[in-house]
Amino acid sequence: MKLFLKWALGVVLVLAVVAAGAISYMAGSPKDALYMVRYAFPHMHRGTLKVGDDAPDARLLALDGQTRFHIRERTAGRPLVLVFGSFT
Amino acid sequence: MQIYNDYKGHADFLTVYVREAHPTDEWQMKSNVKDDVCYVQPKTLEQRMAIANDFTKRFKYPLPFGVDDMANAADLAYSAWPERLYIIDENGRIAYRGGMGPFNYKPAEARAWLAGRYGEVKHPEKTEIAPKKS
Repeated sequence: MKLFLKWALGVVLVLAVVAAGAISYMAGSPKDALYMVRYAFPHMHRGTLKVGDDAPDARLLALDGQTRFHIRERTAGRPLVLVFGSFT
Repeated sequence: MQIYNDYKGHADFLTVYVREAHPTDEWQMKSNVKDDVCYVQPKTLEQRMAIANDFTKRFKYPLPFGVDDMANAADLAYSAWPERLYIIDENGRIAYRGGMGPFNYKPAEARAWLAGRYGEVKHPEKTEIAPKKS
């Protein structure tokens, strides 16, 4: 039984090291890997929207800082390509 | 923004600025330091507007633009952070849902959807001019 536990612990450690290495490689460095786990992983399977669903609405502010409009106002008549992102 | 230039006659485009992906007070990237794109995560809508305006001016960004509110309503509704593409059809339904960026942010997929409906827009390949031999 002790031998089995030793092997199991060894396998888990090896897998953990391999996973940490893979995430570090993807992220660029071990520090970025930690940030990826903290900031990106919680978002990876967020949301349930799928093709065919009604597009949700949200109110946005135009660059003039004054005009407010809804995403769904822009969907009349033609397809709307939505590009979400930020500067950084 | 080739996809915008190629299909703006058929589809509308809207860029939605959501909360920063790599601000200096969270997960800052070396590439952003190198490119001098260093911002803290905005705490007010005015700060968010200022960054959005910096972005559009720096790149002379041509697409229609909207800024998400501080409750992150658009981000939450579309699971948008850090970047994601969607196409909504004329009936207001999701026609294409892209993956979470950056690894699964694939404009080619959105382009393929548009090409499937409106035809492919081809661009002549750029041919390199060989240097003259003296």
